[in-house]
Amino acid sequence: MSDQDRMADKTDEELAREARAGSRRSFEELACRYKRRLFVFLRPRLASDEDAEDMVQDTFLKLYRNIDGYDPAYRFSTWLYTSAGRLAIDAFRKGGAAARNTVALTPEMQIADPAARPEAGSGGSGLWEAARALGGDRYRVLWLRYGEDMSIEEIAAVVGRTKLAVRVLLHRARTSLAGRLGPRPGAAAEAAGD
Amino acid sequence: MLCALSRWLVSRSEDTGKKLPRAIERHIGRCPACGAYVRASMTVAARLRSERAAYLAKAPEFAVDLEAAALRMRPDRRGVETATKASRRFLFGLRPLPVAAAALFLVAAAAIVFRVTRPAPPANPQEMAAATAAIRSLTSAPKELPGVVGEAESSLDKERRILEKSLFSAADYLQARLNIKIERKSNPNSI
Repeated sequence: MSDQDRMADKTDEELAREARAGSRRSFEELACRYKRRLFVFLRPRLASDEDAEDMVQDTFLKLYRNIDGYDPAYRFSTWLYTSAGRLAIDAFRKGGAAARNTVALTPEMQIADPAARPEAGSGGSGLWEAARALGGDRYRVLWLRYGEDMSIEEIAAVVGRTKLAVRVLLHRARTSLAGRLGPRPGAAAEAAGD
Repeated sequence: MLCALSRWLVSRSEDTGKKLPRAIERHIGRCPACGAYVRASMTVAARLRSERAAYLAKAPEFAVDLEAAALRMRPDRRGVETATKASRRFLFGLRPLPVAAAALFLVAAAAIVFRVTRPAPPANPQEMAAATAAIRSLTSAPKELPGVVGEAESSLDKERRILEKSLFSAADYLQARLNIKIERKSNPNSI
């Protein structure tokens, strides 16, 4: 088994423990696993892709410097997203590059039911684009819930809200997305046939 | 109203795994809109999970370079230090007024609570003499005291004379009535 394979088999928490013990290689593996996930989490808060990439880099640098503060009793992803969220807030307050950038909902983003569009479930990401258009906290809680499979408690810790507030945000986000699901193309024909 | 409650409970069930109440299940079975909501909600969750990989694949590929990030953050650090110095200047340069006001308040409060008095200086001989004279003047008899005493004595003498006259009168009456002779002692012991 190669060194690369051994790294890939390890959990995030094991890698974080090794990074805390001084392994730069383990931290790089963690960065490799999370850089894109962190990018899509941060991107709607920032003005451009470059700003989002810089924010990801800054987040990993901050984590590398503070790796001694990581408690292996908690999930690494929770710690990562909490730090990233705080950095994004700091950047937003500084008011420089940070700016809200929500994607305008275009007609192409109207998503049909997957039962009617089998290709959407296999390779498309239209629902995530629509989720990004929701902007702000709704997108973030959706990503943490369905992109990272976090529990409500973990999401509440990351976004600094109560569990009830997180559930309300998720409910509203799902309701908005459900409303944006287009009518099934076959539904009209079925109704006409009846 | 029941539709909104039903949809919230469907969401709760999705997030917490709690079972839907029977009444809500019955409502969802009867209400086409709520039934559609349940289906759409399940579809949304399933599709978000299934489209995650495709969505991530659209993110740009970039390398995490900690050294470059450290170099980029250095100006920020300098900015932080400048901000810290500015805050110190603010603390020690622009805030003496509130600090002085607070100090003044504390001194005033201390003066109210703890009354500070100077110890009395030792008396000099002249002051001691003056104090002694003042005490003597207080204890000495006033000038009009003899006159007052004389007046009191004169009234007593008058009483005595009236009483003596009464006695002489009574003795004369008794001499005439009883045909006896009463003589006055030369040195009476009383009166």
